[in-house]
Amino acid sequence: MNVLIVGGGLTGSFLAQVLLQEGQQITVIEKRPASADRLQAMLPAIRVIAGDGDDPATLEQAGIRAADVVVATTGDDEDNLVVCLLARQEFRVRRTLARVNNPKNEWLFTANMGVDVWVSQAHVMADLMREEIAKTL
Amino acid sequence: MKFVIVGCGRVGSRTASQLSLAGHDVSVIDRDPNAFLRLSPNYRGQTFEGVGFDRDVLIRAGIERADGFASVTSGDNTNIVSARTARNVFRVPMVVTRIYDPRRAEIYRRLGILTISPTDWGATRITETLLHPGMTTLLTMGHGEVTLVEVIASEHLDGHRVDELNIPGEIIVCSLARDGRAVIPTAGTRFRLGDVLSIVVDTLSMGRLQQMLRMP
Repeated sequence: MNVLIVGGGLTGSFLAQVLLQEGQQITVIEKRPASADRLQAMLPAIRVIAGDGDDPATLEQAGIRAADVVVATTGDDEDNLVVCLLARQEFRVRRTLARVNNPKNEWLFTANMGVDVWVSQAHVMADLMREEIAKTL
Repeated sequence: MKFVIVGCGRVGSRTASQLSLAGHDVSVIDRDPNAFLRLSPNYRGQTFEGVGFDRDVLIRAGIERADGFASVTSGDNTNIVSARTARNVFRVPMVVTRIYDPRRAEIYRRLGILTISPTDWGATRITETLLHPGMTTLLTMGHGEVTLVEVIASEHLDGHRVDELNIPGEIIVCSLARDGRAVIPTAGTRFRLGDVLSIVVDTLSMGRLQQMLRMP
């Protein structure tokens, strides 16, 4: 499968690493040039593009039209929303996933913004911790 | 009418102040409370500290009963997310947003978001002024394909007929003002030195109009 990840921070690069082990084809767009270089050195088998993932020209350069899935994992919720919106409306990507940074913004991550699936780290972590806390009682 | 403005920078504060001065019910939202200092002392509306896509803030600001919504923060992405939410979630009838990046503005226009790109607009106006001195752009239509310009008739035009300037589908003189009175000229109307002409022109034909205005 062809996966395009926007955001090469901790979340994005760890996801790239995991998917690479599964044998997927990975492209990562990372805004900060130093982080992009570091990621490319760490995972030579993936394609890293240094640039703005919310810029349609950069998305096109990264091969978004050939992507089966686009994952928006930047630390900015509005950037992740715009990436999904462009992926769906402009580039007709089949499936989009987004990271929610601030749980307060969860309500925005809908089909209206081109988001198929969202993962809210604070939400997921709170749920897991709540379960563990319940076990100790 | 009720208006919600997100972003209280130079444009947002002026928009909010003008609407308020015109007697409308205005709410302005900004994440920096100091931004509200830009509002006119006569501003009668409300101010809300917060982000333009925070549901609670939007609802407190009255978005559910708003007639119009504008997102004019310094962040293009914030503006897009706010505008699309206002339109598709809260069904605000009139939504407008500012996008600095002209290439992106074009895409969001296609997505049905009414987009104003001051970068594009400013650069086009400045280019036109440099290239076509003597012609003032009054209005551009569509995405700039058709332009309404104002021209003061020079001695070159004096005595020529309107139909010498009109080219169907390219250039139409739609108004002629003389001695403070404007008329819609007919084909046979003759120009006189100092006439103020409003001309609708295909933007691609601006150069041609420029040449014709120096007609012998």
